[in-house]
Amino acid sequence: MLRFLTRRALGAVVTLVVISAVTFFLFFAVPADPARLACGKVCPPELLEQARHNLGLDQPLFAQFTAWLAGIFVGRDYGGLGHCPAPCLGYSFVNKAPVFETILDRLPVTVSLTVGAALVFLLFGVATGIIAALNQGRPLDKIASVSSLIGFSLQIYFVGTLALYFLVYQNQILTRPQYRPFTEDPLAWAAGLALPWVVLSIIFTANYTRMTRSTMVEQLGEDYVRTARAKGMKGRSVVMRFALRGTLTTVITIFGVDLGALIGGAIITETTFGLQGLGRLSINAVTDSDLPVLMATVLVAAGAIIVFNIIVDALYAFIDPRVRLS
Amino acid sequence: MRVRKRSTMAALAAGLLVLTGACAEGNQGAPATSSSAPAASAEPFKPPTITVGTAEDSKGPAIEPEGVVRGGTVTMIDRDDFAHFDPGQSYVNTATNFGLLIHRGLTGYKRVAKGDYKLVGDLATDAGTVSDGGKTWTFTLKDGVKWQDGSPITSEDVKWTIERTFAPFITQGPTYVQQWLTEADHKKAYQGPYDGKRLDAIETPDDKTVVFKFKTPHADANYAFAMGGYAIVPKAKDTKEKYDKEPFSSGPYVIKSHVVDKTLDLERNPNWDAATDPIRGAYPDKWHMEFGQEALQITDRLMADAGADQTAFTFYASVPPERLQQVLGDASLAPRLLKSPSPYGNYYYFNLDRVKDVKIRQAINYAWPSKQIQQVSGGPAAAALPTTILNENTTVGYEPYDLFGKTTKPEGDIDKAKELLAQSSNPTPTIVYAYNQTPVQEQVTVVIKSALEKAGIKVVAKPLDRKTYYDSIGLVKNEFDLYWGGWGADWPSGSTVLPVIFGPVADGAPNYAHLKDPALTAEMDKITAMADIDEANAAWMALDKKVQETITPLVVAENRIANILHGSKVGGAEIDPQFWIVSPNTIFVKQ
Repeated sequence: MLRFLTRRALGAVVTLVVISAVTFFLFFAVPADPARLACGKVCPPELLEQARHNLGLDQPLFAQFTAWLAGIFVGRDYGGLGHCPAPCLGYSFVNKAPVFETILDRLPVTVSLTVGAALVFLLFGVATGIIAALNQGRPLDKIASVSSLIGFSLQIYFVGTLALYFLVYQNQILTRPQYRPFTEDPLAWAAGLALPWVVLSIIFTANYTRMTRSTMVEQLGEDYVRTARAKGMKGRSVVMRFALRGTLTTVITIFGVDLGALIGGAIITETTFGLQGLGRLSINAVTDSDLPVLMATVLVAAGAIIVFNIIVDALYAFIDPRVRLS
Repeated sequence: MRVRKRSTMAALAAGLLVLTGACAEGNQGAPATSSSAPAASAEPFKPPTITVGTAEDSKGPAIEPEGVVRGGTVTMIDRDDFAHFDPGQSYVNTATNFGLLIHRGLTGYKRVAKGDYKLVGDLATDAGTVSDGGKTWTFTLKDGVKWQDGSPITSEDVKWTIERTFAPFITQGPTYVQQWLTEADHKKAYQGPYDGKRLDAIETPDDKTVVFKFKTPHADANYAFAMGGYAIVPKAKDTKEKYDKEPFSSGPYVIKSHVVDKTLDLERNPNWDAATDPIRGAYPDKWHMEFGQEALQITDRLMADAGADQTAFTFYASVPPERLQQVLGDASLAPRLLKSPSPYGNYYYFNLDRVKDVKIRQAINYAWPSKQIQQVSGGPAAAALPTTILNENTTVGYEPYDLFGKTTKPEGDIDKAKELLAQSSNPTPTIVYAYNQTPVQEQVTVVIKSALEKAGIKVVAKPLDRKTYYDSIGLVKNEFDLYWGGWGADWPSGSTVLPVIFGPVADGAPNYAHLKDPALTAEMDKITAMADIDEANAAWMALDKKVQETITPLVVAENRIANILHGSKVGGAEIDPQFWIVSPNTIFVKQ
C-alpha cells in the first residue's frame, strides 16, 4: 500500500506541475492584458509599460513561471509590497494580498459547502437508489425514477434563486445563506449553509439515485448474490453484505471525482448564494485576469481531484475483496 | 469620475452600476435590459446645479438632510470590494465614493439641497484662489483639521500627496494636476519624492498655505482637486505600495476591520471635527459593509426589508431587469426607490478613417432607432435619450440641442436619412458595426441593423469578445466603421470630455473616432486656456454643438437610468447625480 501511495503521490506532483504550466501559458495566450486593468483611465503606452513592469509582466514568460514555481518552496520578494513567505502562490493583482492567504480564507467556505452537500446527496441518493432497486417496477421505484429525473433536470441557479426568494426573502422561513466558521458557532454554521446544501445536493441526489439503482439492480442479478440467496442467506444480509458492497465501488468512484471537483469550487452555488468560496474566487480571477489567483484556484481544484482519486483507489481495496486479491 | 473596472463580471450580473473604466462604461453591464422590462413612462430628471461656493459655504458642519438621526449602524451591501484605499490609485467611482468616509481633499462637493451642489473648500478654507491668469492656485488649510492620530494636516502633506502620484507604483489615479505641473509624460519629468527630490512647482510658504504653479492656465483646477484621487495622504504615514491596504484617515471614520471581498467595518475617527467639514454628515456611528452579493440578491433583500436589512442600502447595485417591473409596479417600494440617469457620455463612434463622408454620418444619425434601442434596453424607466455629447448631469452651463430630431422622431427619420444619402458620395453604403457581444447588445444590434437597412445602409455586424472589446476598437487601424464607447467627465465641465475623446489619435487612446482636426484642437486649446470658467463652460457647450453639426463624429447613445432600492430604516439616501452612486454623506439610520 505504501508503494502504491508513494507512486501515486509522485504522479500527482508531476500532474500538478503540468497543469500549472498549461494554465500559466494558456493565460498569456488570451489577448486580454492584466496590466491594462492596473493602468489609469487614460492609459498611454508609457503608463501601461510601467503597470506591466510593476506586475512583473515584462519578464520572459518562462522566467515568470519558474519564479512562481520557486515561490511555492522558498517564497518571493515583492519589492515595496514586502516578502511573500513559502508556500507563496503569488501576489494577487487585484486584491493586493498574498494568494495563499486568500485561498486559506476561502477554502473553509467551499469545504463546508461541499462536505455538507455531499453528506446530503450521498445519504439520500444512495438510500433512494437502494429502495428503488429493491422495489423494481413498483410504485416506489417509479416515484424515485421520476423524482430523480426532475431533480436531474433542475439547475442550481434556478432552484437557488426561487428558494432564496420564497423561503428566505419573502417568507423568512430559512436563514439567509451565509458562512460562519464551524469553530465559532456550529449551529450558525449549519443554519447558514442549510439551504445551499439542499439546493446543491438536488442534482447530485438525483444522479446518485439513478446510479445506485441501476448498479444495485445489476448486482442483485449477479451469480454470487443468487448463490447467497440459494444458500438461505436472509434478504437484508444479501443486500448489505453483497449487493451494496458491489454497488458502492461505483458510487465511491464517482463520489471521489465529484467531491474533488466540488472542493475546487462550487461556482454556481457560491454565486447564487453569495458565498465567498473558491468558486467565486476563481470566477473573479478569470474576469479580472488575476493570474496568480487563477493559478492557485486551478491548482487547488486539480489537487483536490487527484487526492480524492487516490483515496478512492485506496478504498477499493477495502470495499472490494477482488481488488485486494488481485 | 471614472466608473469601475472589474467589468466583464458585470455582464454576468446585469444590473450593477459598476462598470468598466469610464472609457469602458456601458455595453458591458449596467442596469437594464431586457425586452421584457416594462415600458414605464419616462420621468423628467432635472440635472443638478453645481456652483462654486464661498469661504462661508466651506465651513462645517454639513447641511443636514430632513429628519436626520445620529447614531446606529448602517449596512452597505454590494458585489465588489473596493479596488483601492490609496487615493493616488483611486479613479473608479466606487473607490472614490467610499473614500469620502475616510479621506479628505482640498476641495469637494457640498450638497446644499437635492440636486443643488457647491464646490467648496474641504480641508481648504475655500475653493481656492486663482491668480497669474489661471496658472497659479493657492489654498489655505483650515484650522483644526487632523489625521486620525490627532496630528495636524499640513501643507507639506498636500505637497507630498501630489508628489507621490508621480512615483512608479502609482498607475491608476488621475493625472491632470501632475501634467499641468510638469508635462504630458509627467512620470518622465519627475519620479516622486521618495529619493529626496521635491517638486518646485508646488510651494508651501507655511504650514497652512500651498501654492500650485501650473505651466498653463487652468481655470477649473479647483474642480480637479475635488477628485477622490487627489485626497490627501500623510507624509509621516506614507507606506508607498502598502498604503493601498493601510490608509490613514482624515475623514469621519477609520477602518476597524477589513476582510477582502467579504466585509469592511468602520468606526468613528475621534479626531475628525464636523465643524471643519461642510461635506460629510457622518451620521451613523458605525458602518458595516458586505461584499459578494449579486444585484438580484441585493434587490430581493431590500425588497423584503426584513430584520437587519431594514438598515441596509447599496452604493451601486441597480434593480436588475428580472425585478424591474415588479419594483416599479409596487407602490409600497416607491419611497425606497432611488432613480438617476447616468452622468456618463455614451456614444456610437464613427471611424472617420473609414466613414469619410459627413452626409453618410448625418444620415445614420437621422435614421438611428433611439426609441427601439431604449425599448430593448428596458424602456424609458431604464434608459433616457440624450441628444448632446456633453452630459447634462456633468456640465455646468449645459444647453440642450437636438440636431437630428431625436426628440421629435426618436424612432428615426428614414426619409431625411435617405435624402442625405442621396446627396452623399455613396447612397447605399455598407457599414461594419462592431459590438460588444453581450445578450443586450445582440438585441440592440438587430434593432440598429433593421433601422439602417430601411434607409438603404447595409450593416455588417461584427461581434467582439467582451474582454478584448476595448483593445479591438482602440486600435487605430481597426476594420470597423461604427462602435460604441463611453466616457465620463471628471468634473462638471467639457474640459474633461471633449479634449479627451477628440484628443490624440493613438492605439488605446479614447479618441475612438480618430478625429484629427487642427482647427478643433486649436479651439479646444483656446478654451482650456480661458481664465474665466463661466466663459469656458459656455464655449465647451457651443463647441459640442459645432462638432456634431460640422463633423458629426458620433451618434449620441442611449443613457441608462439607475434604479436603486434601500431599506426602510435608511434615511438620506440619494444617488449623487455626478458620480451615479449613492452618496455616503447624507446617509442616516432611522430609529
